[in-house]
Amino acid sequence: MSDLIPEAKPVDPRRILVFRLLAVGILAVYTGRLFYLQILRGGEFRSQAASISRQSSILPSQRGEIYDRGGNIPLVLNVDSFALDIVPAELPAEMRDTVFLKLAKLTGRPVEELRAKIPSSYYHLYQPVEVVGSVPYPVIVSVAERLDELPGVTWHAKPKRNYVETGSLSHLIGYVGDITREELKLLFNQGYQSGDVIGKTGIEKQYDSLLRGRDGREYRVVDVRGRKIAGAEPSVDPPVMGRNIVLTIDRRIQELAEKALGQRMGSVVVLKPGTGEILAMVSYPWYNPNLFLEADGGRAYARLLNDPNKPLLNRAIQSAYPPASTFKAVVTTGILEENAFPPEKTVLCQGEVSYGDRVFRCWIRKPGHGAVDLKGAMAQSCDIYFWTVARDHLGIERLVSYSKEFGFGTASGIDLPGEISGFNPSPQWKERRYHEKWLGGDTMNMSIGQGYLLTTPLQMANMIAMIVNDGIIYKPHILSEVRDPSSGAVIRSVAPEVLSQSRIKPETFKVVRDNLRAVITEGTARYPVSTKAVQVAGKTGTAEVGLADRWHSWFASYGPYGAGITDDTVVVVVMVEATNPWEWWAPYASNIIFQGIFANQTYDEVIQALGLSYMIKPTERVE
Amino acid sequence: MIANLKALFSDIDWYILAASLILMVVGILFIFSSGVTSTGVVVSTEYLRQIAWVALGFVFLMLVVLVDYKRVKDSSFVIYAAVLLLLVYTRMFGRVVNGARSWIGIGELGIQPSEFAKIATIFYLSKYLDQTRHSLPGFRRFLGSLAIVGIPMLLVLSQPDFGTALVFIPILLSMSYLCGLERRYIVFLLSTVALTLVLVVLPLWERNIAARPTGLLFVLYEGPYRFWILGACVITLGLAVWGFLVFRNRYYYWISYAFLILILSLVGSELGHRVLKDYQIMRLIVFLDPSVDPRGSGWNILQSITAIGSGGFAGRGFLQGTQSHYRFLPQQSTDFIFSILSEEWGFLGGLVVFGLYGIILWRTLALLKTVKDPFAVGIVAGLSGMILFHFMINVGMTMGIMPITGIPLFFLSYGGSSLWAVLIGIGLILGISARRYHS
Repeated sequence: MSDLIPEAKPVDPRRILVFRLLAVGILAVYTGRLFYLQILRGGEFRSQAASISRQSSILPSQRGEIYDRGGNIPLVLNVDSFALDIVPAELPAEMRDTVFLKLAKLTGRPVEELRAKIPSSYYHLYQPVEVVGSVPYPVIVSVAERLDELPGVTWHAKPKRNYVETGSLSHLIGYVGDITREELKLLFNQGYQSGDVIGKTGIEKQYDSLLRGRDGREYRVVDVRGRKIAGAEPSVDPPVMGRNIVLTIDRRIQELAEKALGQRMGSVVVLKPGTGEILAMVSYPWYNPNLFLEADGGRAYARLLNDPNKPLLNRAIQSAYPPASTFKAVVTTGILEENAFPPEKTVLCQGEVSYGDRVFRCWIRKPGHGAVDLKGAMAQSCDIYFWTVARDHLGIERLVSYSKEFGFGTASGIDLPGEISGFNPSPQWKERRYHEKWLGGDTMNMSIGQGYLLTTPLQMANMIAMIVNDGIIYKPHILSEVRDPSSGAVIRSVAPEVLSQSRIKPETFKVVRDNLRAVITEGTARYPVSTKAVQVAGKTGTAEVGLADRWHSWFASYGPYGAGITDDTVVVVVMVEATNPWEWWAPYASNIIFQGIFANQTYDEVIQALGLSYMIKPTERVE
Repeated sequence: MIANLKALFSDIDWYILAASLILMVVGILFIFSSGVTSTGVVVSTEYLRQIAWVALGFVFLMLVVLVDYKRVKDSSFVIYAAVLLLLVYTRMFGRVVNGARSWIGIGELGIQPSEFAKIATIFYLSKYLDQTRHSLPGFRRFLGSLAIVGIPMLLVLSQPDFGTALVFIPILLSMSYLCGLERRYIVFLLSTVALTLVLVVLPLWERNIAARPTGLLFVLYEGPYRFWILGACVITLGLAVWGFLVFRNRYYYWISYAFLILILSLVGSELGHRVLKDYQIMRLIVFLDPSVDPRGSGWNILQSITAIGSGGFAGRGFLQGTQSHYRFLPQQSTDFIFSILSEEWGFLGGLVVFGLYGIILWRTLALLKTVKDPFAVGIVAGLSGMILFHFMINVGMTMGIMPITGIPLFFLSYGGSSLWAVLIGIGLILGISARRYHS
């Protein structure tokens, strides 16, 4: 201390005074406030606390219903259901076990599961905690009868979603569930609250804000013990119903496509090229969303999540595959538009060709297709022709730019969550990614849709739509109309929206369409596409995936050919994965779908009419 | 040794010690009350834990009294650094409680390092202000203090625990004020903090409480305008600084001063809007008009005011409160302990609590007149600022005249960490008081 200059007063006394005045001032003001609240207004507060307090209970809103394009029978309904709650602090400790046992018996749920919903840290809570969801009305009645034995137990109405049409529609419609903590963090400022039901995927998620209503509340005036005060009418803040939604999906075509694909892993897209409306979208395997809404929904979900076949995946928009020979339609457009190679000039196919240190073999092997021109190469799907012309005349830069023009590598923006964008490679990308130069062999691979190129089945449908529409792709969508739930009036109707417009000449597309037609009349799809109901044009694709005896099977097509674009024109894309036993099923399935749509037949009638029963395995005929 | 101890105990400020003990006993009573349901069933054992924490905290208090604070002075930086490391560890691996990663511990037991960070910061800042008293110019001391308080404050803010972080500001203010920093730095700090807070809450206040557009305000927080304003301020500041350096005119000094405040507040409020969610800002201003959010944050305030008001002059009697026992009151054992006390013990009970706090603050501030060691002055100043701020914010919140920030009421609120922190603080005050005439 001796090194310090001795100071009588290290602190300025004025500052101490100011600080003391501040403390005294705060205490004085607070005393005044306390006096005001407790003495001056005490009586008022006391009577308010003693006689009345408002208790509110939630009146749940109805989630909107979902209809197909017919708009008559809903695909999704709401059914009345209840949830049992416990107010932990009102459940005496010594009664806890008996109450849980009784509830378990009444609801048929394991007692451990109920007990786990109320951990010891909740014991002092006065908020109701939901212990069992989707409880049917009779159980609620029996709980109500025994309420004196079940202290702390209450219930609330919780309408349950019932997915009437399950099957392949599950991927489109999706399902709902309780909002998670993570979702709440993101959506809290948009008015979502804990305990809300929210769409988890599909249309339920995409249009959650339209479908969800707003919960109402009923306010009751009660005394401090929670008893209703006689004569006081409850005031009601009515719930707002969610909007109804009409989809572009045609239930008949959806069912046809679903059955035509059968139990094969893969997907089908049926699209109206003139508007972008999706008429059907099937992805197999599918799941039953109602399972998630049952009491042990979590387990059902986990099982599906771990299923190696990935049933939760909507393969039409969430899986990308090499497009294989279907991509030849894009290459053909490029060759014609750029005048890269005269369409009538032939290339000699001898079944194989050497390039670099590799031998490239045409799918037909030796002795090959012989001399083929552009139309013949498309019809026969001759690889040698496309390899040669793409490598030596079109070139990779133009190939990449045409592929991009057709929408490959870009998500289409369909109104479903989780769409992936596929992949459109380029020489620059390859150098960046692998530090290797793009080689002629890479160009050859890409020209027949192999290699790095990856597309979703929906992108494939857009490719055909562009050819049919002379260069216009409409944004694919499955929402058709939004309707008022009570009056049924159309609130919003979705108009076609141009996704992209190409400057490629209409004459070019006309030749491409003719060539696609040749695939059916004289080419590879001559036998499988046998329908007489409509003139089909399209392209087969068989993608190598490294298996010796199995391939991805594609068929990308439209009909009717030659009629211009009409209201009837549909694009059908079928994709059957290589995981299935090899049947070359995609063109057959498309054949069934075209016959069904244009002859207005059911699946069974189509099988009869086309004489395909020999191809259908007995198991599939059992429905 | 024994004689020393005897002397020490005869010099202890028994008023402060007694007031703290009475407050803690009252706290235990009302934590017990908050755990009783309307049917008289005890559903919470929080009061038992609080008893254990009070007992343990008292041991800490005694230990702190016994150790001469001057002997720990040299280690104050080590303590400060250790607490900072603990805060960093908490930020990364701590447990999330009420939305903030603020806890560390094993199983049910844990502590909130942010509570102890306040004490360690006071301790080290005192040493810094003492050491630099004659060696550094005022401006450098001010910047140094700002850094010492700013680091733990930002760490706590990142948890994010807005309320606890806020407490560092009055600590800095009271210490720099009583340790003799020039008034202009304190005014600078005070106006920057106040202006920042106003700018943060202004948009929501306009939208939800004033509920009408107030003309020119939008230039402060909308689109390109705010950037133009900020740009204009920066240019003015630059010109004024240049003017001051060239002409050495005081006039330019004060212009720079004002515009620096403005710029820091604008930037600070922008950061505030990025970091804080709307509902968090709402909690800060809902007390101005609880009825705009009667079922959210406003509910807590309305229920608390009703509980306090219905207590009347003498209260409803211990365990007889209706608002509390019929579940209307939120967080009764922690943030709203004063509400349940006021309901059951009325105006008289409130006066007792105010009186006890008054004794602690008055006796502590009286110390400043007689303590000669500047290091001790800093500690006492920081602790009194902290205790006064906690009291002001928490009790004000329950009475509906302060924002909701989740700051506990020392001695009364349920919780080990804040209790131990304040008891260590009281131990320091008692030790300083007993030794003030020793040399």
